[in-house]
Parts: sequence; C-alpha cells; structure tokens
Amino acid sequence: MPKRKLDPLPSAAFQILLSLAGEDLHGYGIMRQVADQTDGRVRLGPGTLYSSIQTLLEEKLIEEVDLREDPKLGHKRRRYYRLTSAGRKLARSEADRLAGFLRVARAKKILRGDYV
Amino acid sequence: MSEKIYALLLRLYPSRFREAYGDEALQLFRDRARDEKGFFPSLRLWLDLLADLAISIPRQYGYVQPALIGVSAQRRLAGVPAFHVLQDESPRPGALLFGSVLSLVVLSTFWILLGHGAGHAGMRVIASGQLPGSSGFSQHQAPQPNPHNAPSATDRAVGEVSKLDPADRHRVIDGVIANLKKHYIDPEVAQKMADELLAHEKRGDDDAVTDGEAFANLLTKQMRDVSPDRHLVLIYSRDPLPQNATGPIVGELARYREAMKQQNCTFEKVEILPGNIGYLKLNSFPDPSLCRPIAMAAMASLNHADVIIFDLRDNRGGEPAMVALMAAYLFDHPEYWYNPRENTTEQSWTLSPVPGNRLADKPVYVLTSARTLSGAEQFCYDVKMLKRATLVGETTGGAAHSGVFHRIDDHFGMGIPETRPINPFSKSDWAENGVEPDVKVKAADALPTAVKLAETKLHKN
Repeated sequence: MPKRKLDPLPSAAFQILLSLAGEDLHGYGIMRQVADQTDGRVRLGPGTLYSSIQTLLEEKLIEEVDLREDPKLGHKRRRYYRLTSAGRKLARSEADRLAGFLRVARAKKILRGDYV
Repeated sequence: MSEKIYALLLRLYPSRFREAYGDEALQLFRDRARDEKGFFPSLRLWLDLLADLAISIPRQYGYVQPALIGVSAQRRLAGVPAFHVLQDESPRPGALLFGSVLSLVVLSTFWILLGHGAGHAGMRVIASGQLPGSSGFSQHQAPQPNPHNAPSATDRAVGEVSKLDPADRHRVIDGVIANLKKHYIDPEVAQKMADELLAHEKRGDDDAVTDGEAFANLLTKQMRDVSPDRHLVLIYSRDPLPQNATGPIVGELARYREAMKQQNCTFEKVEILPGNIGYLKLNSFPDPSLCRPIAMAAMASLNHADVIIFDLRDNRGGEPAMVALMAAYLFDHPEYWYNPRENTTEQSWTLSPVPGNRLADKPVYVLTSARTLSGAEQFCYDVKMLKRATLVGETTGGAAHSGVFHRIDDHFGMGIPETRPINPFSKSDWAENGVEPDVKVKAADALPTAVKLAETKLHKN
C-alpha cells in the first residue's frame, strides 16, 4: 500500500483547500486568495500551486469545474476548481489538528488569548 | 521577454506536468506580472518563481503516477532492482541537450568547490609549521600534538601535480626572479642571480628536470652558486601553499591559545632542587602576549636560588620576544641580544635589569639536546656567546630559518633573507651545525651532570 501523498497534509495543500472553501476559483484566484488569507506570507508559485492542485485532484479532494471567463481578467476562459466534500472534511480535520496544537500552546503559556 | 524566460524555465518540468498545467502556469505568471509592476514587486515575483522552481521541480520528478506505483508494486520481487518509469515517451533531443549542459554545469561547480575546499585544507597543514624554511621561530613548532594537522590522504591526492614542462619551469623562474628583485637585500647580487638563472635555462641545463622538488633544489643551487647564502632557498610543496603564508591562521591561533592554557604556557617544571638549585623546564618560548604573567611568576619563584638550570631539552622554539624576555633576567644591564631574523633594533637589547631580580649574577646552566631547536637555539647561542651560561647536553638541532617566505604559486615558494643582522660574535650562527654544548653529555644525563657541576661550583664559592 503506497503511502498517501497528503499525509501529513502539506501547508500549501491545506491553504488551497481553505481558499476554495468560500467559492470556486481559478489558479491565479487561488494564489491571490492564499496570499490574502495568510497576510501575504504565502505566495504560491506556479510550480507549487499546480503540483498541489494535481495531487489534490488525484485524491479527489478538489475537482475541476467548467471553463469560465473571469470578468476581471479579460476574455480568456480559465479552468476553475471546486472543493469536494472529501476535501472539506480533510480541511476540517486538519484545522482541528492545528486547533489541538493551539490548545496545548495555550496550556503551556506559550500563546495567550482565549479564542481557541 | 520575461515571459519567454519563464516559458523556458517551465521546460525544466517533466512533460506530463507541462502538458497538463504548462499553459495555466504561464497564464498565472502573466497575471502576476501584469498585477505586480515596478522594481520591487517584479523582483519579489522572480524570487518567488525561482524558489518555486527549486522546490517543485524535484517534487515533480519524484512524483509517481498512482497507476505506475501499483504496477511496480505488483511486479517487484524481493531483492530484484526495479525502475520506476515516469514517462512512456522517449526524451526529446532538446531535453537531452539541456540535460547534458546542466550536468556539465553541476559537475564543474562541484569540481571548483572541491578544489577550493582542498586549498583550505592545505593551508591548515602548512600553517602548522611543516613548511621547511618558512618564516621564523614559528610558535606552531612548539610540541603540541594536534590531530587536526595531520595531512590526510585526500590533501595529498589533491596536491599531486603533473610533471613540469618548459612553460611551468619558465613561470617558476620568472617568479623567482621577480621575488629576488623585489626582496633580496643586495640588488646587484639579485640581478646576477637572475641573469644566471636565465642563462642556465637558455643553455638547457634545466630541461631534464620534471620533478618539482628536484627543480626547486636545482634552482636553489644555481642561486647559491652566485651568492653562497644558506637562507636563500626555493621550496617545492606537494600540497598547495596557502595564499598568505606569513601570518598565522585565525583557527591556529585559537588552538595555540587553548594549548598554552592547558600546558601552563609550556613551563613544565619550576622548582627548587636540593642545594637551592633553581630548575626550570621550558618546552617552548611562548607568545609573551599570552604567557608573560606565567613567565614572570616562574622567574620570581626562582628568584632566591643560588644557581639556575634552564632545561631546554624539549624546547623547539617559539617567539623571539619571549626568548629575549627570559634572557633579561640573566643580566643587570641591557645586553645586545642577537636575533638572526632582525636588524638591530631596540628589541635587540635585553630589557635588563628586571626590577627585583636577583638572578643576574647567579651561575646558569642550560640543558640541550638534539631536539632543542630554533628559538631555543637562539637562547643557547646567545648565552654561550655572551659567556653567561654553561651549556650541558647534546649539540642542538640546527634550525635558524631566518628567511622570509614568499609564495610563487600553488606549489613553489622561496625563502629570502631580507635583512642582514649584525652578528656581534662574528661567527656563523647555528643554522647549519647547531649550537655546541660546553659540556657534551647525552641528553638523558644532562640534568645530573649540570647539578653536579652546580654543586661543585657552589662549594668552591
């Protein structure tokens, strides 16, 4: 049984899943959404982005939807991606896992605050 | 333009990835390039892209299609090597060409890096004082076992050079002549030597010599035929010579400091023997900037002795300044202190009298052996010439090393005497024959002999 590629879930893949939680996006849209949600800390390059998309597609965590035009980016039709229910589930379990770390960090007084 | 560059870089990815996502990747690049204009945004864009290439290309090549994993897992038998085939198409000629150019670049980079690293290793080895004829009473000749300095097999392998051809020989001769003209004390003699070297080369006297060491010896002989100067020497080293052979290397200095700390600055024994005989066993003349307090304390603890025995049988030299510092205790007035490395300067006089010192008129014995070298020989030679001490033991090793070392290339360097110090004793110094003791006994018997001599002398008084 070959080891699953997304175990543990790479940070880039997790960010892509999160970026698609709200709406379907094309590649560049994902990149910008990820940059937004990480305050500009993570800027996915094309290679990393499409490698991750490739893997996520294979694992059926995201799916391709029809080609559409992005009104903001001219008339070229782009491939959009959508989060599948498996993808949503995985993103949730990863978020839970990270939340667990946060609780530990707070218990050890490394992190202050009560939002977890 | 930049889009074309990125399109080229995309070719680094496996064709399967390019076919699936090449257009989209390029489109993403276009989108970013359009949105991120200006110097800093585009700089950031390119940095992102390069980092991205570095991370994702290896990942893509390590990537195995799920179908293929299944196939190879089924077919694979224990102990039988298997290959994963990532692509079923044969590589394009362009890809092959690109691959070979890339391999060449990587190989040559490795080669350069290796050569560079080996150069540093060689520097370490030579800096530890193994270079014959290098400058002075190197403190690194002090007896400190240091495993880091052992030349390894790799050092030697890298230092290996092919045989000398006429062009190599000419280059070395040019280097020798340039150094002679620049550094030799007597310009006329330097010119004569240069002419002689070139005449020998023209006559073909050098043609048969292809071995580096033999060539170095031959040129040394040719130079000395003009001027019989034993400090003038051409040296060949199989290991690459350091770029700066005259200064100690920082790491060496740190090791030296540590060693001095651990060994009490090589003051091995300081004690009063029966009969109030002060005995000092000193195994080097360490750097006074580190060891002056210990030296002063040692001498102070012997201050009330009636006789002093300096045991230099295991002393392989060190700093001329420490030699002079120790000698200062033996005189009640500044005494000319001959150092073959320097012209007469203030330091050529001992800093006598030392305040509070009572040893200036006490009998002194110095124990010597064939292992007594360099700076220790200077001490022996000078106290003997000044008739200040009785030397007991063996003839010393004979290592004056008074030339200054000049690097010619990676393997050749030369020692050139740059100063002509005044030897007040108008005799040859100890470079060739060592210093003869006054009382010749085996090194092992030197201490009891000196003690006996001291006791006899004290009883007479």
